[in-house]
Amino acid sequence: MSDEKITEHIEPTASEEAEKLRGRKKKSRRSSLISYQRRKGLYGLCFISLWLVGTVIFFLIPLVKSLIYSFCNVKIKQGGIDLVWKGFSNYNSAVNSDKKFVDNLEATLIETLWKTPLIIIFSLFIAVILNQKFKGRALARAIFFLPVIIATGPVFKIISGDITSTGNTGGEQFSTMFSTDLVGELMQFLGIYGISDKMSLIISTVADNIFGIVWNSGIQILLFLAALQNIPPSAREAAQIEGATSWEFFWKITFPYVSPFILANLIFTVIDTFTNPMNTVMKRILDKKNEWAFGEASAMAWIYFLIIIGAIGLITFIVNKFIYYEVE
Amino acid sequence: MAETTSPKKEKLSSKQRRKLHMQGLSREERGYLRRRAAAEKVWPIFRFVILFGLSFIILYPLIYMVSCAFRERNDMSDPTVMWIPRHYTIDVIKETMRAMNFWETMKTTLLLNIGCALVQVVSCSVTGYGFARFDFKGKKLLFGIVIMMILVPMQVIALPLYTQFRFFLGSEKINLIDTMWVMYLPALTGNGIRSGLMILIFRQFFRGLPKEIEDAAYIDGCGPLRTFVQVMVPNAASAFLTVFLFSVVWYWNDYYVSMTFFTHTETVATVLTNLDSKLGAVLFNDAKIQMLEREKIVWKEAGCLLSIAPILIMYVFLQKYFTEGIERSGLVA
Repeated sequence: MSDEKITEHIEPTASEEAEKLRGRKKKSRRSSLISYQRRKGLYGLCFISLWLVGTVIFFLIPLVKSLIYSFCNVKIKQGGIDLVWKGFSNYNSAVNSDKKFVDNLEATLIETLWKTPLIIIFSLFIAVILNQKFKGRALARAIFFLPVIIATGPVFKIISGDITSTGNTGGEQFSTMFSTDLVGELMQFLGIYGISDKMSLIISTVADNIFGIVWNSGIQILLFLAALQNIPPSAREAAQIEGATSWEFFWKITFPYVSPFILANLIFTVIDTFTNPMNTVMKRILDKKNEWAFGEASAMAWIYFLIIIGAIGLITFIVNKFIYYEVE
Repeated sequence: MAETTSPKKEKLSSKQRRKLHMQGLSREERGYLRRRAAAEKVWPIFRFVILFGLSFIILYPLIYMVSCAFRERNDMSDPTVMWIPRHYTIDVIKETMRAMNFWETMKTTLLLNIGCALVQVVSCSVTGYGFARFDFKGKKLLFGIVIMMILVPMQVIALPLYTQFRFFLGSEKINLIDTMWVMYLPALTGNGIRSGLMILIFRQFFRGLPKEIEDAAYIDGCGPLRTFVQVMVPNAASAFLTVFLFSVVWYWNDYYVSMTFFTHTETVATVLTNLDSKLGAVLFNDAKIQMLEREKIVWKEAGCLLSIAPILIMYVFLQKYFTEGIERSGLVA
């Protein structure tokens, strides 16, 4: 009796338990599957949470505020800022009545337009050279990357002859390259006298720009060099066996391999020239800021920023059509 | 056959052998080889000239700096002195150091730079890892914000950021302007100087690492944070060092941010930017001394030299990590 009872008692419970167990297992498996993904997502959010908080405080709020300022008349008063809604008049005055701003904008755009391709070509050329094997390559590389550590700082501002903004007087005689009319002296030395002013002007601007280009292409050379080292040796061997000249090798093999980096470098160069504090538009914006015309300054900054975004979008769109991506 | 040809080859000189070899080739092949040989001879000379000339352009300001900083001011007006000074002196350096309050400034700068760079590397790497390996809602949008951080110039948000620091978290009492916090807080939260770029670099780098090492750690019961610290970080050591060095350099070179948010705290970069007025206040106060503008250059060049000397020394010793690190880190992937 007791045995029967026990078995009767046990059997259902056992099956129940088994069912329960199975159910739990099913449930737990499903829930863990969902929660695993969700958990990973949460972990991801945890990883970026610190940045997110900082970005809201130090980037997004200021960005939105500056957008609001650009539509307002901003006045600084004791313990705060006074805003009066003005609509688009800040933008209007920046584009239509501020001659200086428009001129600077035009000059900067034109300069970027011709300087960027030159920087890209130059840095690719140098990268190809620095990628070859020769004596003293390490030294040459060290020298060519030197601008990377100096060109963002105030020292470069001074040596590139941007003297007025640093408050240094007598800038013409400072250590600017060719400031002592080195070119002129050289030409006199070579016996070229009486050359037309226009010609010497052209020569000296070219010389000045070589300085600017060399000093502004450190990172670009670095990136191209990295790209060049990605070219598989097998491609080089195959080209040699086929009897390719180095010219053909460059266009058929090197160029396709580095083409994605051309886009990266283009974007980097454009951002670099546009956001450089030495840039004339930036200076104009800073001047406005120093005149306490924050509304106008913000409007100008936003116009400028939209142009940058537009330019980068356009470049990406165009260059993407010509890029060779290695399909893996 | 082999036995008969090999002694023959030994007898022939290498020149003759090459001649024989050339005869066996077609005309086009010979032309190709000849052209290549000529190019191989001319090219190194050409290369040397280019590299030498351009190196000169890069080094010119630095050489001139050194040359000026160690000469007496009279040498500036001496037309016979171009590169090598006639009178050597280190007084100029000493005086400039006094005007710049060099050691004090240096201490602040180093404290600020190295601290910020360390903190920034940590925060950016953590964020970059989050973007590289986890999927969550709104990831694309958030990553878009990272790209925005690269694109938006600091000048656009400088003024609102100023009010943000002046009335921190909307409170009138917390004024962070002119404290170290203006540098540390953004760096700590991945919003320091060029943080967007660094997050991008780390993201690319972590994406390039094989997923298997992480999965192994997960299976062994490692949490994500521990996996990151113990598995990913050691693998990314070179990327960390490179980003750290660049971070130090960028903080060192920054004058815009520090000049906006600091009023009394001075870093080497801000001192150099205001060097002219400082020299005027400390050195040229004496009305009796008549000095040409040209002669003042000596002090300015000394200031430039002093302010880049530390990172220049760092660069000389750690050059390998600056260049190789970029080559290996995520930008390549």
